[in-house]
Amino acid sequence: MATHLSYGRVNLNVLREAVRRELREFLDKCAGSKAIVWDEYLTGPFGLIAQYSLLKEHEVEKMFTLKGSRLPAADVKNIIFVVRPRLELMDIISENVLSEDRRGPARDFHILFVPRRSLLCEQRLKDLGVLGSFIHREEYSLDLIPFDGDLLSMESEGAFKECYLESDQTSLYHAAKGLMTLQALYGTIPQIFGKGECARQVANMMIRMKREFTGSQNSIFPVFDNLLLLDRNVDLLTPLATQLTYEGLIDEIYGIQNSYVKLPPEKFAPKKQGDGGKDLPTEAKKLQLNSAEELYAEIRDKNFNAVGSVLSKKAKVISAAFEERHNAKTVGEIKQFVSQLPHMQAARGSLANHTSIAELIKDVTTSEDFFDKLTVEQEFMSGIDTDKVNSYIEDCIAQKHPLIKVLRLVCLQSVCNSGLKQKVLDYYKREILQTYGYEHILTLHNLEKTGLLKPQTGGRNTYPTIRKTLRLWMDDVNEQNPTDISYVYSGYAPLSVRLAQLLSRPGWRSIEEVLRILPGPHFEERQPLPTGLQKKRQPGENRVTLIFFLGGVTFAEIAALRFLSQLEDGGTEYVIATTKLINGASWIESLMEKPF
Amino acid sequence: MPEVPGLQSAPSCWTTVCQDRVAHILLAVGPDLYLLDHAACSAVIPPGLAPGVSSFLQMAVSFTYRHLALFTDTGYIWMGTASLKEKLCEFNCNIRAPPKQMVWCSRPRSKERAVVVGWERRLMVVGDAPEGIQFVLDEDSYLVPELDGVRIFSRSTHEFLHEVPVASEEIFKIASMAPGALLLEAQKEYEKESQKADEYLREIQELGQLPQAVQQCIEAAGHEHWPDMQKSLLRAASFGKCFLDRFPPDSFVRMCQDLRVLNAIRDYHIGIPLTYSQYKQLTIQVLLDRLVLRRLYPLAIQICEYLRLPEVQGVSRILAHWACYKVQQKDVSDEDVARAINQKLGDTPGVSYSDIAARAYGCGRTELAIKLLEYEPRSGEQVPLLLKMKRSKLALSKAIESGDTDLVFTVLLHLKNELNRGDFFMTLRNQPMALSLYRQFCKHQELETLKDLYNQDDNHQELGSFHIRASYAAEERIEGRVAALQTAADAFYKAKNEFAAKATEDQMRLLRLQRRLEDELGGRFLDLSLHDTVTTLILSGQNKRAEQLARDFRIPDKRLWWLKLTALADLEDWEELEKFSKSKKSPIGYLPFVEICMKQHNKYEAKKYASRVGPEQKVKALLLVGDVAQAADVAIEHRSEAEMSLVLSHCTGATDGATADKIQRARAQAQKK
Repeated sequence: MATHLSYGRVNLNVLREAVRRELREFLDKCAGSKAIVWDEYLTGPFGLIAQYSLLKEHEVEKMFTLKGSRLPAADVKNIIFVVRPRLELMDIISENVLSEDRRGPARDFHILFVPRRSLLCEQRLKDLGVLGSFIHREEYSLDLIPFDGDLLSMESEGAFKECYLESDQTSLYHAAKGLMTLQALYGTIPQIFGKGECARQVANMMIRMKREFTGSQNSIFPVFDNLLLLDRNVDLLTPLATQLTYEGLIDEIYGIQNSYVKLPPEKFAPKKQGDGGKDLPTEAKKLQLNSAEELYAEIRDKNFNAVGSVLSKKAKVISAAFEERHNAKTVGEIKQFVSQLPHMQAARGSLANHTSIAELIKDVTTSEDFFDKLTVEQEFMSGIDTDKVNSYIEDCIAQKHPLIKVLRLVCLQSVCNSGLKQKVLDYYKREILQTYGYEHILTLHNLEKTGLLKPQTGGRNTYPTIRKTLRLWMDDVNEQNPTDISYVYSGYAPLSVRLAQLLSRPGWRSIEEVLRILPGPHFEERQPLPTGLQKKRQPGENRVTLIFFLGGVTFAEIAALRFLSQLEDGGTEYVIATTKLINGASWIESLMEKPF
Repeated sequence: MPEVPGLQSAPSCWTTVCQDRVAHILLAVGPDLYLLDHAACSAVIPPGLAPGVSSFLQMAVSFTYRHLALFTDTGYIWMGTASLKEKLCEFNCNIRAPPKQMVWCSRPRSKERAVVVGWERRLMVVGDAPEGIQFVLDEDSYLVPELDGVRIFSRSTHEFLHEVPVASEEIFKIASMAPGALLLEAQKEYEKESQKADEYLREIQELGQLPQAVQQCIEAAGHEHWPDMQKSLLRAASFGKCFLDRFPPDSFVRMCQDLRVLNAIRDYHIGIPLTYSQYKQLTIQVLLDRLVLRRLYPLAIQICEYLRLPEVQGVSRILAHWACYKVQQKDVSDEDVARAINQKLGDTPGVSYSDIAARAYGCGRTELAIKLLEYEPRSGEQVPLLLKMKRSKLALSKAIESGDTDLVFTVLLHLKNELNRGDFFMTLRNQPMALSLYRQFCKHQELETLKDLYNQDDNHQELGSFHIRASYAAEERIEGRVAALQTAADAFYKAKNEFAAKATEDQMRLLRLQRRLEDELGGRFLDLSLHDTVTTLILSGQNKRAEQLARDFRIPDKRLWWLKLTALADLEDWEELEKFSKSKKSPIGYLPFVEICMKQHNKYEAKKYASRVGPEQKVKALLLVGDVAQAADVAIEHRSEAEMSLVLSHCTGATDGATADKIQRARAQAQKK
């Protein structure tokens, strides 16, 4: 059981159990001992579904990473390839199969496609003459992976690029399939809202797929009241800004992968007396971050400036709890104290970890450069000097700061100005090409195609209208005890989350004008329910909205949505789904092209 | 097959038996029996066989293959297990004429074993009893052994001979006092409004046998073929049930349903006279299949609806069968068939229109198949069939509608092989979604085709990018790379992207120059950025060339200053750095000079520049070089609260105590004012 998945309004463990069952069923189809050959990209997401112990229970004895030439030796009956349906992977698999030693014991081959079986890939295997070698060729529809009690991700790295750069809707199709699976488990979602071209397509596919399944009337009482589909390109701004929540900053600085983070080990050296610190661990410290950890659940979504006080308060509580032992006089009291020890020790360990992480982050956030960068970002977002060349960006280029940082800032300026003046844009581009190398012209083209970087057309800057109507910039932000979502960026309220907030109250009708400025259509669809399944809401009962970010979502946006869920008079609780958990850097990187 | 000793002509009789899941042949040659399998032939002797047998005339294996009966020329019948290991019983009928047929007649789970022997006009049932039962046949008849009895056919009759089931026997035996019999009696009296009903009932109840009574009546009803008798038994059961508190109703309800189904199929219009046991053995699914095979669709559907079978197993399946039959009616037009099918099937869940369409296509009715496919909601089913029928373009639009990109790819590759290149490209042109997918495919698999696609669409911007990629990936030699870039630049001009064209030309210029530098100076220059090229030149002491390059490519002054500053500091060429700083007024100020010297831990040099830093950044610079006292003075002079607290934060207790006090005093003074 993964307890952190079941604390919310929607028990996502149901989904996890369903996908685990599907996996077990497949494994049992291949009788006998097994070795799994992994598409490396899948190991991370799979780790959230099934640990090695589950695989071991089903006679998986060895695991390999998929690579060319011959398979490593393994004394097993079955070889199972677990792969994404990609042609280049099919080529590697066929190489593996063809170089199999004929003299050795015969082994059975199987393929498990994640998340979908592909005719194209099977055709390729057929052309390579190995299709017949596989006994089971099946699909494992792992679309949405539960990350936390209110968070699902498809972890599809290239989703944004595919959708907005290459007009490839594969990941949208998978998203729609994932939503169908979700509806099969949690009931039909009666209302669908959406904004953006991709959102429209996903909604269309869902409606179509529903028709395909007319056979099986869904008789599950709906858990979700609404679905909100949002295109990432409706809000290109938010991911570009530096996230200022605790979790957001961990991601910005160290990168969280499949809910794990790798940290420099120095800060985590065990403090033992007389150890002289001679053998510091050299391997990165790997920590899992999710709400199973009580302390993390409490601080992850806070503005970083509010984390310190919580940590010190916690430290006092914990040391006070340990002091209790002196008050324990009777045997009963001592027994009770001892029984609480494991929990207290876990809490102390967790506190020590997060104190170390907070120190690491603080080193970064207090640096002058971080401050300068943040100042520039905030100027842009509040609409100051967005139409001319910014000298900080200029200096960053001249000092050859990381290209991603520069691109992020330039894109931010462009988005906050509804595009840059041609002269300014050309200046930046020229500076970037001369400094970082001409090959980046391809990256620049990609950014222009997705609208992240563009010349201002029509000569009108629409961003101020959007900013004012949606109240994207709040001057009086309270980081310690926030009253508005803008705390996650210390002033800037994420546009995407504002849209969700306004949809739930008072409704989008009030912001028609802004919706027209933002790209793509906005729409509403209803999926009729049989009368028996219609919900009568108790007074004061919150609605549950599933919000799906097509093209990625940041931790700061998630924090903002959680903040809205917890508002007493909010009226709506959110479950968040996305194609990929992103931050500005990973997002821009996915759009970069490196020809050599 | 191995040789059988002494076999000259056909054996007098033979049969197949099953032992240990292997089929054997048992055959009789004169007085001997042989068991044959594919390899061996062994003589066998049935245990306890009466002596004097000179030949076997008939042999029969039971329905379950467990028992065997042998009829000898002495009129003697041996009955035993099929394994020939055990004798069950024997019988002497004293008829030496060879029988026409001999079959087993038994009921599953019954202990009674009997064999029916048939001659021309005579039938004899024999078993473990001194006497057999004889029947006279009016016509030539044929015997068929079945699960629970023997069916007897003649030209005009159809009879079923079977062991009387226990429940029926109990109830209908003369003067039976079994609970079921009493209950039936009670019910009859009740209908006559006689008080005897109560007496019978009491009698059963006193023995506490009412539940058994009800159960017996239900069971017996199942074995009755006459609806009137079924009814009276069921009525008795229902009557008995009234006096029971917790009798589970399902056996009664199920029996009513089963009998209704059985009576319907036993009707002479249908003519499937199954017994209850046979029906249960077959299961309803098999029965439905048989009805469907006989095209008795309406009855099958009525049964499904009556039994409330799930639609997917029941009604939909039958409708699908009906539709598959319907498409074979060649005299009806495509439109009419399609309409008729859709009218009947509508959106019935579980009906696969594609299966029906596949059947239509199999019968050569392609048009009908296409019409039927229109009703198929699942594109995954629709598209492959359309491809098979060579309707690729239709398949393409269906695949696109579905949003399933894998399906689109499949159709595309199909089309690519089917059409010539020109037509294929034209088809793509009308389908933007397919086109962009195909582009992605080509990007990874067929680069040349990608170029052709861009060319066809006059997409010069993408062509430009394409050639740029090529200049890095495909070309090794510098000439080739420059040529690829030239093509790219031309494309960008055509795309009216002046910036990209100019930038490309710059790159060509840079490449040629880097090549020359490598030739003249050695070292690596190729593929460095312009910025790095200039830096490398400075680092290798080629200041003049660096200057020239910066001028040629119009590197902005500010960046050039940063560049030189960084490079000279890296070289630790402090003399040159100082000269450079004095060459003219720095466009980036002097704070970066201080910073970079400190980064190289050269406080001495740093101090030189600190004095030149402008007033705005003076405090910062002084703090950097560690001159806290002077920083304090400047901050106080500026009367800047922010600067003062910055200095304060740099004061370390021991050494800067005086300075800290000074600031505190200045602060206090400022506040007074």
